[in-house]
Amino acid sequence: MAITDKVLEVNNLTMHYSTRRGPVYAVDGVSLSLERGGSLGLVGESGCGKTSVAISLLKLLPENAEIINGEIRLNGTDLVPLSEDEVRVHRWRDISMVFQAAMNSLNPVYTVEEQIVEAMVQHMPHLSEQQMSDRVDQLYELVGLDPKIKTEYPHQYSGGMRQRAVIAMALSCNPDVIIADEPTTALDVIVQDQLLKKIKEVQEQLDMAMIYISHDIAVIAEVAERVGVMYAGKMAELATSDEIFHRPLHPYTMGLMSSFPSIIGEKTELVTIPGEPPDLLNPPPACRFHPRCPFATEICRTEEPEFKEHVPDHWVACWHPGGEA
Amino acid sequence: MEETLETASPDAIRSAAAPAPRWRVRLRLFWGGFKTNWSLFTENPIGLIGLGVIAFFGLLSVAHPILMATVWSGNVYDPVRGIDLEIPFHPSAPSARHLLGTDPMGRDILSQLMYSSRFEFGLGIMSAVMALFIATAVGALAAYYGGWLDSALMRFADLIIMVPAIPILIVLSAIIADFGMFQLALFLGVLSGFGATAIVIKSQALSVKVKPYIEAARVAGGGHGHIITRHMVPNLMPIALLYMMFVVTTAIFAEAILSFLGLTEIEMSWGLMINTTQVLGYILRFDTWWLLFPAALSITFLCAAFYLVGRAMDEVVNPRLRRR
Amino acid sequence: MWGYLSKRVVQMALTFLLFQAATYFIIDAQPGDIADLLVNNPDIPPSQRQIMREELGLDKPPVGRFFTYLTNFYKGDMGVSFQQYPKPVSEIIIERLPRTLVLFLTASIIAGWAGFVTGKMLAWKRGGWIEHSSTIVGVTLYTVFTPWFGLMMIWLFAVQLDLLPTGKFLDPIKWLGTDVSANAVFISLIITVSIASIFVLTSFVLSNRAPRSYRTPIRLGSVAVALFGLVAYWINTGKAVFAWDIVSHTILPVMTVTLIAYGGYMLLTRTSMLETLKEDYILTARAKGLPAKMIRDKHAARTALLPVWTGLVFALGFAVSGGIITEGIFSWPGLGQTLLNSALVADIPVALGALTVVGIMVLVSHLVADVGYAFIDPRIRYH
Repeated sequence: MAITDKVLEVNNLTMHYSTRRGPVYAVDGVSLSLERGGSLGLVGESGCGKTSVAISLLKLLPENAEIINGEIRLNGTDLVPLSEDEVRVHRWRDISMVFQAAMNSLNPVYTVEEQIVEAMVQHMPHLSEQQMSDRVDQLYELVGLDPKIKTEYPHQYSGGMRQRAVIAMALSCNPDVIIADEPTTALDVIVQDQLLKKIKEVQEQLDMAMIYISHDIAVIAEVAERVGVMYAGKMAELATSDEIFHRPLHPYTMGLMSSFPSIIGEKTELVTIPGEPPDLLNPPPACRFHPRCPFATEICRTEEPEFKEHVPDHWVACWHPGGEA
Repeated sequence: MEETLETASPDAIRSAAAPAPRWRVRLRLFWGGFKTNWSLFTENPIGLIGLGVIAFFGLLSVAHPILMATVWSGNVYDPVRGIDLEIPFHPSAPSARHLLGTDPMGRDILSQLMYSSRFEFGLGIMSAVMALFIATAVGALAAYYGGWLDSALMRFADLIIMVPAIPILIVLSAIIADFGMFQLALFLGVLSGFGATAIVIKSQALSVKVKPYIEAARVAGGGHGHIITRHMVPNLMPIALLYMMFVVTTAIFAEAILSFLGLTEIEMSWGLMINTTQVLGYILRFDTWWLLFPAALSITFLCAAFYLVGRAMDEVVNPRLRRR
Repeated sequence: MWGYLSKRVVQMALTFLLFQAATYFIIDAQPGDIADLLVNNPDIPPSQRQIMREELGLDKPPVGRFFTYLTNFYKGDMGVSFQQYPKPVSEIIIERLPRTLVLFLTASIIAGWAGFVTGKMLAWKRGGWIEHSSTIVGVTLYTVFTPWFGLMMIWLFAVQLDLLPTGKFLDPIKWLGTDVSANAVFISLIITVSIASIFVLTSFVLSNRAPRSYRTPIRLGSVAVALFGLVAYWINTGKAVFAWDIVSHTILPVMTVTLIAYGGYMLLTRTSMLETLKEDYILTARAKGLPAKMIRDKHAARTALLPVWTGLVFALGFAVSGGIITEGIFSWPGLGQTLLNSALVADIPVALGALTVVGIMVLVSHLVADVGYAFIDPRIRYH
């Protein structure tokens, strides 16, 4: 891969949780990259490791989790070997996150403004109080909220408003990368649509790189330039949005595309992928998808496929990309 | 790797369910659940310490009648009426004859300690069981029916919490009469049952009430009684049992205090042992430590043990408190 | 918020009324009536008995009697003591109440604050021997047999180290021959110490505005000034000896109750913190790159305070019980000891009066706790 102006580069990231029944490799050798101002969608079923990747990028691991391999290059700096105190400097200022069901991301006993300003005080202490207050107003307007309500408490906002507030908070220190983990899942469809448009708008306006995580392909299609498909802790396929949707190479992706109903075009049968995602405590050997794959052959059961560029700028980990023998 | 219910394929489960009788399946599920809970419980050494102490005192209460029937002669070692005439001065220090010495009236301290263990357990468990019934009933009914029943019960609970139990007991014993074990257990059970525990169970019941399976049961035609007893109550059991531990702690503690003050009519208990020590003037003398320490420490340890078990159970019942 | 609070006040008033009714009718249900008890009391001259019968309204039907009792109560008349006939119960209680209040408040505030601070620090550092040993210490303090614990304190500080007296309110020998009133000294002590404490507290709060390096000197300085002022004042009035006598007798009971109450607060805070730490906003705070101490104190502890505060209600009841027993052990003449003593000698008016006042004390502290909660939880304040 040529080294261009990539704001984020992840190589071979491996992370596991230690549970009572053994280690769970939630992220196993995942690689991805993000250009300045670009957008990457991460798609996959629940439990495939998308959120684990996200929290690994900020090194927000819980007590029983550990990154055991790989590198995370943010603006060239590898975050993996850094200590907690060293990483703290980068958090929010260079890379921030909007969590899943962000409603509870706000502390109920402080006003929303206080919580946004808190981050600014931490990373941009040179700003005056007035400047910070003005900035909060700007952020509110940016996400479509009335600046007057910034002094209220989280419980006084509606769900959609809280979501926007959390997005405003994530933008507060002008990060280079923002990770949005299913930011619209908990909202109703209309609000979801509004918010998506707003997010796209903001991203373009601020020329900010974004990783958008979702299990909803329709949403990804609207938002992302490039799409990464994850399965069972591994990156199955990574390419531009157009490639993924029209010329998917990984059988799993192909299954995902056919299982999505379309209101245009001819009526086709809805296809579901048989079986269930594997238990990550004891994943299937070699290619993790082989038990459910219609094209699986002997090599799929014995050797793990490498994640490589099958077609220029279209990465896939499969022995039979495109279903070919 | 043996196939458990968790990793068996759908076909295996389907074929396994058909022939096995329902009670067998229930037992297996229960045992599996019990094993998981046990391993969670044992993660915390604190719970085990508590359990160990409880087992120790349990052993004492069981051992006492055996000892009395075999090794110990009734005249000398009887905890209430015994007296050792072979030793000239009582209270006597611990010796081979009397492992914890004797009290001022010539009775063996160890025998008294062991004999009382039975009462402590009996009292504690009686209070706890009573409180369990009352609190579960109150909590479940208040949550299920809501409305005026809820308000009335909660007001009543407020009243109960209002004044702490021990002052009330002290004054009541002055007004009515000294307490016997059953009256005390009854009173404590009722107080604990209608008080704080009921409120906690009610809030738990409220969160159970809105669960989908309650709705499903109702749709399937379940009547109120059926839903409450078959669906709500089993889900309230974990938290109810947890609080029962604390009721036992309170009961043993309260009885000890009251007996110490001489306000009970119980035959023999740890509190009473200390009361005897005080009444006969030995309380501030530390050369006769065996008159005070064994009883006081037993009270402390047994109360603490039940509390620790309760805390460890809390980690099992409340997943947010766990380490992983 | 005010709507919520006024509702609570009304509820509490009703609850208290129920309480009074319950206690009254339990006594009333006993065979024989108060008059019989009085009649059998040899200290009362026969001529008084019939008058008392009428005064107490014993010739009226039960509900009527209850109303008489209530009206008397709210006029401040709680009857007359059996044991110290004819001293009115209200007089006894007024004399003893401030002492127990001091004991209760001092112990609760110190134990609560210390328990909260240690609890939040211990929850932050999970696992290891620290967590287990602090659990054991906390539980032991919480469940220790109070009389024994009090005795141990006496043994350690009074007998072994000979630092403090073994019990009672004061040393009568020192006061013989003087006409100084113990109660007056005690009240003045309360006033002066309160003023000094408020002074120290305000300086602590104000010192937060000062630059970091000045804070500790300012705080230490204010404590020194307060102490100096107190000592100077008392020496000036010439009653320093008496004041110290009372203070030295108060230290051990206060320490005992504080330690007992501490266990409960510490354990409660720790549990609450552990639950709070699993919340999403803590993860967000970490993601924002905030330093660990700030996350612990500003986000976790502050929000963990909410359930701790609700648990305060039970901790207060526990402190009251503990205080009563401690007063008994130390023979410290506060309201608790009065309650105990009157129960033991069946001086029913005093016992009942003391119990009712204890009830009021607990009720008021519940109310204060409710008010406090409304302030610390914005969800109550703004809805």
